[in-house]
Amino acid sequence: MSAILILLFLLTAASGTAVVLIRDPARQIFALAGNGVVLTILFTALQAPDVALSELAVGGAAVPLLFLVALMAVRTGRRDEEHEG
Amino acid sequence: MSPRLRLAVLGVALLALVPGAAATIAHLPDFGATIAAYGERINAIAPGERHVANMVSAINFDLRGLDTLGEEFMLLAAITGTVVLLRGRRGETLTDRAMRLPGRAILPRSEAVQLTCRLAGPLLMMFGLYVVLHATVTPGGGFQGGVILASGTLLAYLGEGYGGWRDMVRSHWLDALEGGGAVLFTVCGLAPMLTGAAFMQNVLPLRTFRDVFSGGLMLVENAGVALAVCGGFTQLFLEFLEETREADGPEEPGEDSA
Repeated sequence: MSAILILLFLLTAASGTAVVLIRDPARQIFALAGNGVVLTILFTALQAPDVALSELAVGGAAVPLLFLVALMAVRTGRRDEEHEG
Repeated sequence: MSPRLRLAVLGVALLALVPGAAATIAHLPDFGATIAAYGERINAIAPGERHVANMVSAINFDLRGLDTLGEEFMLLAAITGTVVLLRGRRGETLTDRAMRLPGRAILPRSEAVQLTCRLAGPLLMMFGLYVVLHATVTPGGGFQGGVILASGTLLAYLGEGYGGWRDMVRSHWLDALEGGGAVLFTVCGLAPMLTGAAFMQNVLPLRTFRDVFSGGLMLVENAGVALAVCGGFTQLFLEFLEETREADGPEEPGEDSA
């Protein structure tokens, strides 16, 4: 196993742990996107460009964007309740 | 369930599962040691038999056939379920007008963001089309290209704001894209059966190796998947965004850009 693979595995573990440890949802989404990008590089290094492309599109862009929008929806809902109460 | 009972259940489950897992892990081949027999067989067969350079496309859209249909409809079902859930709460009335939530600030886009999005959006769409059309030649395919195309429409949202985005993207079109793509893919599976071939058998003529049309029917199937995925993801995004709006918006369309 080459040095770059070891480095990438460590990065994957670190970025994955960061997603769990970060408690603020907005920052957590960006940590998740970062983890997706690290996984993309790992898959590219393991010579799986097809999987890498899927991971980049879904893990790096689509899922974080959906989470961001969902978070926005939750926040507006909470503000409405405060407004009424 | 009390914490102690939970721990006991966890302990029993671990006792039952750990030996099996340990035995399996111990017998796994070393990391990167061998290419599985199936992979070697595909590498040997696909370029000669199917004239295709991208083995993943060869497997997905030709060699295994029916499985990919299930995969395609899994995504369709997931997106339909989400849309039903969201619309169920909000009501089924559709509007092509951008709604806005009273009291929410209208965030204007800076010119730099607008320019970047207007430049990058079309380029990204071009790249998405390239990925879809060259599924048999280079890595990628209908799914990846479809998601890239959907990201292109999201760049339009980022640059133009919600009102501008809704002026471009119609909810009905997205429904048609998603359903039409799935129908196209299914027809690609069923049409060969009319000629007496098997389900999703590659009946179109195969061209030269490394050509855009090299895969025959695979190109059409990829186009179907790309349409369905692009429409589905954009629809999903639109439904989530509508969640943050209010049905009784102001009369002026295209005002909100939050």
